Amino acid sequence: MDSHYAEVPENQSALAPVDLPIDVKPEQLSLQDPRAVLSLLEADQVVAAKHRTHFGRMNLSFGTKTLLWALRVYVVAMMVIVLISVYQVIHAAH
Amino acid sequence: MDAPDKNPSLLAGQTAHPTTQSAVASAAAPELIGLVTHEDVDRARDRWEVARARSKGGAKKFGGVRLLWLLVGPGVLVFLGENDAPSMLSYSADGSRYGVGFFIPFVVLTFIMGFIVQEMTVRLGAVTHRGHAELIFDRFGKFWGFFAMGDLIFGNFLTLVTEFIGVRAGLGFFGVRPAIAVGGALVIVVAAITTGRYWTWERITLSLAVFNGLFIPAAILARPDWHSVGHAMLTWMPFPGGGRYEILLLILATIGATVTPWMLFFQQSAVVDKGMQPRDINAGRFDTLLGALLASVFAIAAILATVPLFHHGINAADFQAAQFAEALEPLIGHTGAALFALGIFEAGIVAAIAISTSSAYAFGEVMQTGHSLNRPLRDAWPFYLTLFGSACAAAALVLIPHFPLEFVVLTVNVIAVLAMPPALAFLLLLVNDAEVMGEHVNGFWANVAGVAVTVLLIIAGLGFGLATVFPKWLGG
Repeated sequence: MDSHYAEVPENQSALAPVDLPIDVKPEQLSLQDPRAVLSLLEADQVVAAKHRTHFGRMNLSFGTKTLLWALRVYVVAMMVIVLISVYQVIHAAH
Repeated sequence: MDAPDKNPSLLAGQTAHPTTQSAVASAAAPELIGLVTHEDVDRARDRWEVARARSKGGAKKFGGVRLLWLLVGPGVLVFLGENDAPSMLSYSADGSRYGVGFFIPFVVLTFIMGFIVQEMTVRLGAVTHRGHAELIFDRFGKFWGFFAMGDLIFGNFLTLVTEFIGVRAGLGFFGVRPAIAVGGALVIVVAAITTGRYWTWERITLSLAVFNGLFIPAAILARPDWHSVGHAMLTWMPFPGGGRYEILLLILATIGATVTPWMLFFQQSAVVDKGMQPRDINAGRFDTLLGALLASVFAIAAILATVPLFHHGINAADFQAAQFAEALEPLIGHTGAALFALGIFEAGIVAAIAISTSSAYAFGEVMQTGHSLNRPLRDAWPFYLTLFGSACAAAALVLIPHFPLEFVVLTVNVIAVLAMPPALAFLLLLVNDAEVMGEHVNGFWANVAGVAVTVLLIIAGLGFGLATVFPKWLGG
Protein backbone atom coordinates (compact mmCIF):
# COMPACT_ATOMS: atom_id res chain seq x y z
CA MET A 1 0.00 0.00 0.00
CA ASP A 2 1.27 3.42 -0.79
CA SER A 3 0.57 5.18 2.46
CA HIS A 4 1.57 3.82 5.82
CA TYR A 5 -1.82 3.48 7.38
CA ALA A 6 -0.85 0.24 9.00
CA GLU A 7 1.23 2.28 11.42
CA VAL A 8 -1.60 3.71 13.45
CA PRO A 9 -0.19 5.26 16.58
CA GLU A 10 -1.72 4.34 19.85
CA ASN A 11 -3.80 7.42 19.86
CA GLN A 12 -7.51 7.20 20.41
CA SER A 13 -8.22 10.19 18.22
CA ALA A 14 -6.78 8.54 15.13
CA LEU A 15 -9.33 7.00 12.79
CA ALA A 16 -9.32 3.38 11.81
CA PRO A 17 -7.81 3.16 8.34
CA VAL A 18 -9.89 2.20 5.36
CA ASP A 19 -8.60 -1.05 3.97
CA LEU A 20 -8.55 -0.28 0.25
CA PRO A 21 -8.32 -3.43 -1.88
CA ILE A 22 -5.57 -2.88 -4.41
CA ASP A 23 -7.57 -4.58 -7.20
CA VAL A 24 -10.15 -1.84 -7.26
CA LYS A 25 -9.90 0.31 -10.36
CA PRO A 26 -9.58 4.04 -9.79
CA GLU A 27 -12.97 4.71 -11.37
CA GLN A 28 -14.56 2.25 -8.95
CA LEU A 29 -12.73 3.66 -5.99
CA SER A 30 -15.07 5.42 -3.61
CA LEU A 31 -13.27 8.63 -2.94
CA GLN A 32 -16.58 9.93 -1.65
CA ASP A 33 -15.39 8.48 1.64
CA PRO A 34 -13.01 11.04 3.15
CA ARG A 35 -11.27 8.28 5.08
CA ALA A 36 -10.30 6.66 1.79
CA VAL A 37 -8.85 9.97 0.62
CA LEU A 38 -6.94 10.45 3.86
CA SER A 39 -5.64 6.87 3.64
CA LEU A 40 -3.91 7.73 0.39
CA LEU A 41 -2.33 11.00 1.49
CA GLU A 42 0.38 11.73 4.01
CA ALA A 43 -0.57 13.67 7.11
CA ASP A 44 0.96 16.93 5.93
CA GLN A 45 -0.20 16.45 2.34
CA VAL A 46 -3.84 17.29 3.04
CA VAL A 47 -4.68 20.85 2.02
CA ALA A 48 -6.35 21.73 5.33
CA ALA A 49 -3.35 20.45 7.29
CA LYS A 50 -0.97 22.50 5.16
CA HIS A 51 -3.04 25.63 5.71
CA ARG A 52 -2.89 25.23 9.45
CA THR A 53 0.72 24.33 9.91
CA HIS A 54 3.89 26.03 8.81
CA PHE A 55 7.56 25.35 9.16
CA GLY A 56 8.78 27.93 11.64
CA ARG A 57 11.41 30.56 10.98
CA MET A 58 14.96 29.35 10.67
CA ASN A 59 17.53 30.91 12.98
CA LEU A 60 19.81 32.70 10.57
CA SER A 61 23.37 32.87 11.82
CA PHE A 62 25.55 35.92 11.26
CA GLY A 63 27.39 34.02 8.52
CA THR A 64 24.15 33.09 6.74
CA LYS A 65 22.84 36.65 6.89
CA THR A 66 26.16 37.95 5.57
CA LEU A 67 26.02 35.44 2.70
CA LEU A 68 22.45 36.40 1.79
CA TRP A 69 23.27 40.12 1.89
CA ALA A 70 26.42 39.61 -0.16
CA LEU A 71 24.43 37.74 -2.81
CA ARG A 72 21.75 40.43 -2.79
CA VAL A 73 24.39 43.11 -3.40
CA TYR A 74 25.85 40.89 -6.13
CA VAL A 75 22.49 40.66 -7.93
CA VAL A 76 21.85 44.41 -7.74
CA ALA A 77 25.38 45.19 -8.99
CA MET A 78 25.02 42.69 -11.81
CA MET A 79 21.67 44.15 -12.89
CA VAL A 80 23.34 47.56 -13.16
CA ILE A 81 26.04 45.95 -15.29
CA VAL A 82 23.39 44.32 -17.50
CA LEU A 83 21.90 47.76 -18.09
CA ILE A 84 25.36 49.11 -18.98
CA SER A 85 25.89 46.17 -21.31
CA VAL A 86 22.55 46.65 -23.06
CA TYR A 87 23.24 50.37 -23.41
CA GLN A 88 26.62 49.57 -24.98
CA VAL A 89 25.08 47.09 -27.43
CA ILE A 90 22.26 49.43 -28.46
CA HIS A 91 24.68 52.37 -28.69
CA ALA A 92 27.04 50.31 -30.87
CA ALA A 93 24.14 49.22 -33.11
CA HIS A 94 23.18 52.81 -33.82
CA MET B 1 11.67 7.10 7.58
CA ASP B 2 8.51 5.11 8.13
CA ALA B 3 8.27 5.57 11.87
CA PRO B 4 5.01 7.03 13.08
CA ASP B 5 5.12 10.73 13.75
CA LYS B 6 5.68 11.20 17.47
CA ASN B 7 4.54 14.80 17.27
CA PRO B 8 1.59 15.10 14.88
CA SER B 9 1.64 18.52 13.34
CA LEU B 10 -1.92 19.67 13.91
CA LEU B 11 -1.83 18.88 17.58
CA ALA B 12 1.62 20.30 18.05
CA GLY B 13 0.47 23.79 17.23
CA GLN B 14 1.65 25.68 14.21
CA THR B 15 4.91 23.93 13.43
CA ALA B 16 5.11 21.37 10.64
CA HIS B 17 7.52 18.45 10.62
CA PRO B 18 8.61 16.08 7.91
CA THR B 19 6.49 12.94 8.20
CA THR B 20 5.46 9.98 6.09
CA GLN B 21 2.56 9.08 8.31
CA SER B 22 -0.77 8.55 6.57
CA ALA B 23 -3.28 11.33 7.15
CA VAL B 24 -5.91 8.86 8.31
CA ALA B 25 -3.57 7.54 10.97
CA SER B 26 -2.62 10.94 12.29
CA ALA B 27 -4.06 12.39 15.43
CA ALA B 28 -5.57 15.18 13.36
CA ALA B 29 -7.62 12.75 11.24
CA PRO B 30 -10.99 13.40 12.93
CA GLU B 31 -10.53 17.10 12.26
CA LEU B 32 -9.30 16.61 8.70
CA ILE B 33 -12.10 14.25 7.73
CA GLY B 34 -14.55 17.10 7.43
CA LEU B 35 -12.08 19.28 5.55
CA VAL B 36 -11.22 17.11 2.55
CA THR B 37 -11.23 19.21 -0.62
CA HIS B 38 -11.61 18.57 -4.34
CA GLU B 39 -7.83 19.01 -4.61
CA ASP B 40 -7.27 16.27 -2.00
CA VAL B 41 -9.62 13.90 -3.83
CA ASP B 42 -7.86 14.39 -7.17
CA ARG B 43 -4.46 13.93 -5.54
CA ALA B 44 -5.67 10.80 -3.73
CA ARG B 45 -6.86 9.40 -7.07
CA ASP B 46 -3.36 9.89 -8.50
CA ARG B 47 -1.83 8.29 -5.41
CA TRP B 48 -4.17 5.35 -5.81
CA GLU B 49 -2.90 4.76 -9.33
CA VAL B 50 0.68 4.92 -8.05
CA ALA B 51 -0.12 2.54 -5.20
CA ARG B 52 -1.64 0.02 -7.60
CA ALA B 53 1.30 0.24 -9.98
CA ARG B 54 3.74 -0.15 -7.10
CA SER B 55 1.81 -3.09 -5.67
CA LYS B 56 1.57 -4.90 -9.00
CA GLY B 57 4.94 -3.77 -10.27
CA GLY B 58 6.73 -6.97 -9.33
CA ALA B 59 4.04 -9.25 -10.72
CA LYS B 60 3.52 -7.63 -14.11
CA LYS B 61 6.08 -7.55 -16.86
CA PHE B 62 5.81 -3.80 -17.38
CA GLY B 63 4.68 -2.90 -13.87
CA GLY B 64 7.80 -0.87 -13.19
CA VAL B 65 7.41 0.94 -16.47
CA ARG B 66 3.84 1.89 -15.56
CA LEU B 67 5.02 3.22 -12.20
CA LEU B 68 7.61 5.38 -13.93
CA TRP B 69 5.03 6.51 -16.49
CA LEU B 70 2.83 7.70 -13.63
CA LEU B 71 5.63 9.46 -11.76
CA VAL B 72 7.48 11.02 -14.69
CA GLY B 73 6.47 14.58 -15.44
CA PRO B 74 7.86 17.55 -13.51
CA GLY B 75 11.51 16.75 -14.36
CA VAL B 76 10.95 16.22 -18.08
CA LEU B 77 8.69 19.27 -18.24
CA VAL B 78 11.11 21.56 -16.45
CA PHE B 79 14.04 20.68 -18.71
CA LEU B 80 12.10 20.65 -21.97
CA GLY B 81 10.39 23.84 -20.79
CA GLU B 82 13.81 25.39 -20.26
CA ASN B 83 14.76 24.42 -23.80
CA ASP B 84 12.71 27.50 -24.60
CA ALA B 85 12.82 30.05 -27.38
CA PRO B 86 15.72 32.18 -26.05
CA SER B 87 17.61 29.01 -25.08
CA MET B 88 17.29 27.48 -28.53
CA LEU B 89 18.32 30.85 -29.89
CA SER B 90 21.43 30.78 -27.68
CA TYR B 91 22.29 27.27 -28.87
CA SER B 92 21.72 28.37 -32.46
CA ALA B 93 24.05 31.31 -31.90
CA ASP B 94 26.68 28.91 -30.49
CA GLY B 95 26.46 26.69 -33.57
CA SER B 96 26.30 29.41 -36.18
CA ARG B 97 29.16 31.49 -34.77
CA TYR B 98 31.58 28.82 -33.61
CA GLY B 99 30.58 25.58 -35.35
CA VAL B 100 31.23 22.20 -33.76
CA GLY B 101 33.59 22.53 -30.81
CA PHE B 102 33.67 23.78 -27.24
CA PHE B 103 29.96 24.49 -26.91
CA ILE B 104 28.87 20.86 -27.54
CA PRO B 105 30.43 19.42 -24.34
CA PHE B 106 29.78 22.70 -22.53
CA VAL B 107 26.04 22.26 -23.08
CA VAL B 108 26.29 18.77 -21.58
CA LEU B 109 28.07 20.26 -18.56
CA THR B 110 25.30 22.84 -18.08
CA PHE B 111 22.69 20.07 -18.06
CA ILE B 112 24.70 18.17 -15.44
CA MET B 113 24.64 21.36 -13.38
CA GLY B 114 20.90 21.60 -14.01
CA PHE B 115 20.34 18.02 -12.86
CA ILE B 116 22.32 18.60 -9.64
CA VAL B 117 20.15 21.51 -8.54
CA GLN B 118 16.82 20.21 -9.82
CA GLU B 119 17.23 16.90 -7.98
CA MET B 120 17.25 18.90 -4.75
CA THR B 121 13.86 20.42 -5.56
CA VAL B 122 12.42 16.91 -6.03
CA ARG B 123 13.47 15.98 -2.51
CA LEU B 124 12.25 19.27 -1.05
CA GLY B 125 8.84 18.92 -2.69
CA ALA B 126 8.33 15.23 -1.94
CA VAL B 127 9.35 15.54 1.72
CA THR B 128 7.72 18.85 2.69
CA HIS B 129 4.72 18.92 0.29
CA ARG B 130 5.38 22.66 0.07
CA GLY B 131 6.33 24.77 -2.91
CA HIS B 132 9.67 26.58 -3.06
CA ALA B 133 8.25 30.07 -2.47
CA GLU B 134 6.19 28.86 0.49
CA LEU B 135 9.22 27.25 2.11
CA ILE B 136 11.39 30.34 1.61
CA PHE B 137 8.72 32.52 3.25
CA ASP B 138 8.26 30.02 6.09
CA ARG B 139 11.93 29.54 6.87
CA PHE B 140 13.49 32.90 5.97
CA GLY B 141 10.57 35.24 6.56
CA LYS B 142 8.91 37.86 4.38
CA PHE B 143 11.96 40.11 4.06
CA TRP B 144 14.06 37.54 2.24
CA GLY B 145 11.01 35.93 0.70
CA PHE B 146 10.05 39.07 -1.18
CA PHE B 147 13.60 39.44 -2.51
CA ALA B 148 13.43 35.90 -3.88
CA MET B 149 9.97 36.53 -5.32
CA GLY B 150 11.10 39.79 -6.89
CA ASP B 151 13.91 38.00 -8.75
CA LEU B 152 11.51 35.27 -9.82
CA ILE B 153 8.64 37.43 -11.03
CA PHE B 154 10.93 39.85 -12.89
CA GLY B 155 12.88 37.05 -14.57
CA ASN B 156 9.75 35.03 -15.31
CA PHE B 157 7.98 37.93 -16.97
CA LEU B 158 10.93 38.82 -19.18
CA THR B 159 11.34 35.15 -20.13
CA LEU B 160 7.63 34.84 -20.84
CA VAL B 161 7.90 37.76 -23.25
CA THR B 162 10.68 35.96 -25.10
CA GLU B 163 8.53 32.82 -25.37
CA PHE B 164 5.87 34.75 -27.24
CA ILE B 165 8.62 36.26 -29.38
CA GLY B 166 9.57 32.66 -30.21
CA VAL B 167 5.95 31.75 -30.98
CA ARG B 168 5.58 34.79 -33.22
CA ALA B 169 8.90 34.19 -34.96
CA GLY B 170 8.40 30.44 -35.39
CA LEU B 171 4.99 30.77 -37.00
CA GLY B 172 6.12 33.88 -38.85
CA PHE B 173 8.29 31.59 -40.97
CA PHE B 174 5.05 30.06 -42.31
CA GLY B 175 3.48 33.45 -42.96
CA VAL B 176 1.20 33.42 -39.90
CA ARG B 177 0.39 36.94 -38.75
CA PRO B 178 1.75 37.89 -35.30
CA ALA B 179 -1.65 38.53 -33.72
CA ILE B 180 -2.95 35.14 -34.86
CA ALA B 181 0.22 33.33 -33.73
CA VAL B 182 0.23 34.93 -30.29
CA GLY B 183 -3.55 34.64 -29.89
CA GLY B 184 -3.41 30.95 -30.84
CA ALA B 185 -0.65 30.38 -28.29
CA LEU B 186 -2.80 31.97 -25.58
CA VAL B 187 -5.67 29.65 -26.50
CA ILE B 188 -3.37 26.65 -26.02
CA VAL B 189 -2.20 27.97 -22.62
CA VAL B 190 -5.83 28.40 -21.53
CA ALA B 191 -6.86 25.00 -22.89
CA ALA B 192 -4.12 23.36 -20.85
CA ILE B 193 -5.07 25.04 -17.57
CA THR B 194 -8.83 24.74 -17.78
CA THR B 195 -8.76 20.97 -17.36
CA GLY B 196 -8.93 21.44 -13.58
CA ARG B 197 -6.67 18.45 -13.15
CA TYR B 198 -2.89 18.45 -12.65
CA TRP B 199 -2.53 15.05 -14.31
CA THR B 200 -4.33 16.14 -17.51
CA TRP B 201 -2.41 19.43 -17.65
CA GLU B 202 0.86 17.57 -17.22
CA ARG B 203 0.12 15.05 -19.98
CA ILE B 204 -1.05 17.74 -22.43
CA THR B 205 2.08 19.79 -21.78
CA LEU B 206 4.33 16.72 -21.99
CA SER B 207 2.80 15.75 -25.33
CA LEU B 208 3.57 19.24 -26.63
CA ALA B 209 7.07 19.15 -25.15
CA VAL B 210 7.96 16.01 -27.09
CA PHE B 211 8.05 18.18 -30.21
CA ASN B 212 11.23 19.78 -28.87
CA GLY B 213 12.70 16.77 -30.64
CA LEU B 214 12.01 18.47 -33.98
CA PHE B 215 15.54 19.84 -33.74
CA ILE B 216 16.88 16.30 -34.24
CA PRO B 217 15.65 15.83 -37.83
CA ALA B 218 16.65 19.45 -38.52
CA ALA B 219 20.16 18.60 -37.31
CA ILE B 220 20.28 15.41 -39.41
CA LEU B 221 19.27 17.40 -42.48
CA ALA B 222 22.22 19.71 -41.75
CA ARG B 223 24.47 16.65 -42.26
CA PRO B 224 26.76 17.12 -39.27
CA ASP B 225 30.30 15.79 -39.29
CA TRP B 226 29.92 13.17 -36.56
CA HIS B 227 33.68 12.69 -36.31
CA SER B 228 34.05 16.36 -35.38
CA VAL B 229 31.20 16.04 -32.89
CA GLY B 230 32.92 13.08 -31.21
CA HIS B 231 36.24 14.93 -31.18
CA ALA B 232 34.63 17.99 -29.63
CA MET B 233 32.92 15.91 -26.95
CA LEU B 234 36.23 14.36 -25.95
CA THR B 235 38.55 17.35 -26.23
CA TRP B 236 36.29 20.42 -25.81
CA MET B 237 38.08 21.77 -28.87
CA PRO B 238 38.27 23.83 -30.93
CA PHE B 239 37.85 26.59 -28.41
CA PRO B 240 35.96 29.55 -29.92
CA GLY B 241 38.12 32.28 -31.34
CA GLY B 242 37.37 35.96 -31.82
CA GLY B 243 36.12 38.53 -29.33
CA ARG B 244 36.44 37.24 -25.79
CA TYR B 245 33.61 39.44 -24.54
CA GLU B 246 31.26 37.93 -27.10
CA ILE B 247 32.35 34.42 -26.09
CA LEU B 248 31.81 35.21 -22.43
CA LEU B 249 28.34 36.55 -23.19
CA LEU B 250 27.47 33.38 -25.11
CA ILE B 251 28.85 31.18 -22.33
CA LEU B 252 26.66 33.06 -19.85
CA ALA B 253 23.62 32.84 -22.14
CA THR B 254 24.23 29.11 -22.62
CA ILE B 255 24.37 28.53 -18.86
CA GLY B 256 21.22 30.63 -18.54
CA ALA B 257 19.60 28.34 -21.07
CA THR B 258 19.79 25.48 -18.57
CA VAL B 259 20.02 26.76 -15.00
CA THR B 260 17.45 29.38 -14.03
CA PRO B 261 15.42 30.37 -10.95
CA TRP B 262 12.00 29.56 -12.42
CA MET B 263 13.02 25.93 -12.81
CA LEU B 264 13.58 25.58 -9.05
CA PHE B 265 10.20 27.06 -8.20
CA PHE B 266 8.36 25.20 -10.94
CA GLN B 267 9.66 21.71 -10.33
CA GLN B 268 9.20 21.80 -6.58
CA SER B 269 5.63 23.09 -6.91
CA ALA B 270 4.85 20.55 -9.64
CA VAL B 271 6.22 17.72 -7.48
CA VAL B 272 3.89 18.89 -4.69
CA ASP B 273 0.91 19.26 -7.03
CA LYS B 274 1.54 15.80 -8.44
CA GLY B 275 1.36 14.50 -4.87
CA MET B 276 4.79 12.86 -4.83
CA GLN B 277 5.93 11.40 -1.54
CA PRO B 278 9.38 10.54 -0.13
CA ARG B 279 9.19 7.00 -1.49
CA ASP B 280 8.84 8.51 -4.99
CA ILE B 281 12.15 10.38 -4.77
CA ASN B 282 14.07 7.85 -6.85
CA ALA B 283 11.41 8.01 -9.56
CA GLY B 284 11.66 11.80 -9.35
CA ARG B 285 15.42 11.55 -9.84
CA PHE B 286 14.86 9.37 -12.89
CA ASP B 287 12.32 11.87 -14.21
CA THR B 288 14.82 14.71 -13.74
CA LEU B 289 17.66 12.75 -15.33
CA LEU B 290 15.46 11.80 -18.29
CA GLY B 291 14.49 15.44 -18.75
CA ALA B 292 18.13 16.57 -18.61
CA LEU B 293 19.18 13.88 -21.10
CA LEU B 294 16.42 14.65 -23.59
CA ALA B 295 16.93 18.38 -23.31
CA SER B 296 20.71 18.12 -23.76
CA VAL B 297 20.28 15.99 -26.89
CA PHE B 298 17.77 18.46 -28.34
CA ALA B 299 20.03 21.39 -27.42
CA ILE B 300 23.00 19.80 -29.18
CA ALA B 301 20.71 19.15 -32.17
CA ALA B 302 19.92 22.89 -32.30
CA ILE B 303 23.64 23.66 -32.33
CA LEU B 304 24.29 21.14 -35.11
CA ALA B 305 21.34 22.37 -37.17
CA THR B 306 22.87 25.85 -37.38
CA VAL B 307 26.48 24.81 -37.98
CA PRO B 308 26.04 25.19 -41.80
CA LEU B 309 25.70 28.95 -41.21
CA PHE B 310 29.17 28.87 -39.62
CA HIS B 311 30.65 26.91 -42.55
CA HIS B 312 29.17 29.35 -45.07
CA GLY B 313 30.45 32.36 -43.14
CA ILE B 314 26.96 33.79 -42.62
CA ASN B 315 27.01 36.38 -39.86
CA ALA B 316 24.30 35.39 -37.39
CA ALA B 317 25.30 37.91 -34.74
CA ASP B 318 21.97 39.74 -34.78
CA PHE B 319 19.72 36.89 -35.87
CA GLN B 320 16.39 36.26 -34.22
CA ALA B 321 14.52 32.99 -34.35
CA ALA B 322 12.76 33.35 -37.71
CA GLN B 323 15.91 34.70 -39.33
CA PHE B 324 17.78 31.55 -38.37
CA ALA B 325 15.16 29.43 -40.15
CA GLU B 326 15.17 31.69 -43.21
CA ALA B 327 18.96 31.69 -43.41
CA LEU B 328 19.05 27.90 -43.02
CA GLU B 329 16.55 27.25 -45.83
CA PRO B 330 19.04 27.37 -48.73
CA LEU B 331 21.54 25.30 -46.73
CA ILE B 332 19.46 22.49 -45.20
CA GLY B 333 16.34 22.72 -47.36
CA HIS B 334 12.79 23.91 -46.76
CA THR B 335 11.91 20.87 -44.65
CA GLY B 336 14.86 21.39 -42.34
CA ALA B 337 14.16 25.10 -42.00
CA ALA B 338 10.46 24.44 -41.39
CA LEU B 339 11.31 21.89 -38.68
CA PHE B 340 13.62 24.45 -37.08
CA ALA B 341 10.89 27.12 -37.13
CA LEU B 342 8.31 24.68 -35.72
CA GLY B 343 10.82 23.74 -33.02
CA ILE B 344 11.15 27.40 -32.01
CA PHE B 345 7.35 27.70 -31.92
CA GLU B 346 7.07 24.58 -29.77
CA ALA B 347 9.85 25.78 -27.46
CA GLY B 348 7.98 29.04 -26.95
CA ILE B 349 4.56 27.52 -26.31
CA VAL B 350 5.70 24.84 -23.81
CA ALA B 351 7.83 27.32 -21.91
CA ALA B 352 4.98 29.85 -21.89
CA ILE B 353 2.77 27.23 -20.21
CA ALA B 354 5.46 26.15 -17.72
CA ILE B 355 6.72 29.62 -16.80
CA SER B 356 3.28 31.18 -16.36
CA THR B 357 2.37 28.19 -14.17
CA SER B 358 5.57 28.72 -12.16
CA SER B 359 4.62 32.35 -11.50
CA ALA B 360 1.09 31.34 -10.52
CA TYR B 361 2.31 28.63 -8.13
CA ALA B 362 4.67 31.09 -6.43
CA PHE B 363 1.97 33.78 -6.21
CA GLY B 364 -0.53 31.34 -4.70
CA GLU B 365 1.99 30.01 -2.21
CA VAL B 366 3.00 33.47 -1.02
CA MET B 367 -0.55 34.83 -0.87
CA GLN B 368 -1.73 31.59 0.74
CA THR B 369 -4.55 31.18 -1.73
CA GLY B 370 -5.35 27.98 -3.63
CA HIS B 371 -2.44 27.09 -5.90
CA SER B 372 -3.07 23.78 -7.55
CA LEU B 373 -4.01 22.70 -11.03
CA ASN B 374 -6.26 20.18 -9.30
CA ARG B 375 -8.50 23.01 -8.17
CA PRO B 376 -11.51 24.09 -10.17
CA LEU B 377 -11.43 27.60 -11.59
CA ARG B 378 -13.97 28.96 -9.09
CA ASP B 379 -11.95 27.72 -6.10
CA ALA B 380 -8.59 29.11 -7.16
CA TRP B 381 -9.36 32.01 -9.45
CA PRO B 382 -6.43 34.19 -8.19
CA PHE B 383 -4.06 31.35 -9.14
CA TYR B 384 -5.55 30.95 -12.61
CA LEU B 385 -5.85 34.71 -13.06
CA THR B 386 -2.13 35.11 -12.32
CA LEU B 387 -1.31 32.35 -14.76
CA PHE B 388 -3.49 33.69 -17.54
CA GLY B 389 -2.81 37.37 -16.76
CA SER B 390 0.97 37.01 -16.92
CA ALA B 391 0.68 35.15 -20.22
CA CYS B 392 -1.69 37.80 -21.64
CA ALA B 393 0.54 40.70 -20.56
CA ALA B 394 3.63 39.09 -22.09
CA ALA B 395 1.75 38.29 -25.30
CA ALA B 396 0.44 41.85 -25.54
CA LEU B 397 3.94 43.32 -25.21
CA VAL B 398 5.15 41.23 -28.14
CA LEU B 399 2.43 42.74 -30.33
CA ILE B 400 3.32 46.35 -29.52
CA PRO B 401 4.86 47.92 -32.63
CA HIS B 402 8.53 48.86 -32.20
CA PHE B 403 8.77 47.08 -28.84
CA PRO B 404 12.48 46.31 -28.33
CA LEU B 405 12.19 42.55 -28.73
CA GLU B 406 15.89 42.21 -29.42
CA PHE B 407 16.68 43.93 -26.12
CA VAL B 408 14.63 41.41 -24.15
CA VAL B 409 15.96 38.33 -25.95
CA LEU B 410 19.52 39.55 -25.53
CA THR B 411 19.31 39.98 -21.79
CA VAL B 412 16.89 37.37 -20.54
CA ASN B 413 19.26 34.41 -20.25
CA VAL B 414 22.03 36.57 -18.83
CA ILE B 415 19.68 37.93 -16.17
CA ALA B 416 18.63 34.37 -15.33
CA VAL B 417 22.25 33.39 -14.63
CA LEU B 418 22.95 36.50 -12.59
CA ALA B 419 19.85 35.96 -10.44
CA MET B 420 20.66 32.30 -9.86
CA PRO B 421 23.26 32.41 -7.01
CA PRO B 422 20.86 33.80 -4.38
CA ALA B 423 18.22 31.27 -5.50
CA LEU B 424 20.79 28.50 -5.12
CA ALA B 425 21.77 29.79 -1.69
CA PHE B 426 18.15 29.50 -0.52
CA LEU B 427 17.92 26.06 -2.11
CA LEU B 428 21.09 24.79 -0.44
CA LEU B 429 20.11 26.20 2.95
CA LEU B 430 16.68 24.56 2.72
CA VAL B 431 17.92 21.21 1.52
CA ASN B 432 20.45 21.14 4.38
CA ASP B 433 17.79 22.06 6.92
CA ALA B 434 17.17 18.93 9.01
CA GLU B 435 13.99 20.38 10.54
CA VAL B 436 12.50 20.55 7.05
CA MET B 437 14.13 17.60 5.33
CA GLY B 438 14.48 15.04 8.10
CA GLU B 439 16.66 12.22 6.84
CA HIS B 440 16.58 13.54 3.27
CA VAL B 441 19.03 16.40 3.94
CA ASN B 442 21.81 16.86 1.43
CA GLY B 443 24.75 14.52 1.64
CA PHE B 444 28.37 15.67 1.45
CA TRP B 445 28.78 15.22 -2.30
CA ALA B 446 25.45 16.84 -3.11
CA ASN B 447 26.63 19.87 -1.15
CA VAL B 448 30.00 19.89 -2.91
CA ALA B 449 28.23 19.76 -6.29
CA GLY B 450 25.67 22.40 -5.30
CA VAL B 451 28.32 24.79 -3.97
CA ALA B 452 30.49 24.17 -7.05
CA VAL B 453 27.59 25.10 -9.36
CA THR B 454 26.92 28.25 -7.31
CA VAL B 455 30.57 29.31 -7.32
CA LEU B 456 30.83 28.66 -11.06
CA LEU B 457 27.80 30.85 -11.73
CA ILE B 458 29.21 33.63 -9.54
CA ILE B 459 32.56 33.47 -11.32
CA ALA B 460 30.82 33.56 -14.73
CA GLY B 461 28.76 36.54 -13.59
CA LEU B 462 31.76 38.42 -12.21
CA GLY B 463 33.65 37.70 -15.42
CA PHE B 464 30.79 39.16 -17.40
CA GLY B 465 30.69 42.19 -15.10
CA LEU B 466 34.42 42.86 -15.36
CA ALA B 467 34.35 42.42 -19.12
CA THR B 468 31.50 44.90 -19.40
CA VAL B 469 33.05 47.56 -17.18
CA PHE B 470 36.62 47.00 -18.36
CA PRO B 471 36.22 45.72 -21.94
CA LYS B 472 39.89 46.21 -22.77
CA TRP B 473 40.87 43.56 -20.22
CA LEU B 474 39.39 40.95 -22.49
CA GLY B 475 40.35 42.61 -25.70
CA GLY B 476 36.73 43.54 -26.31
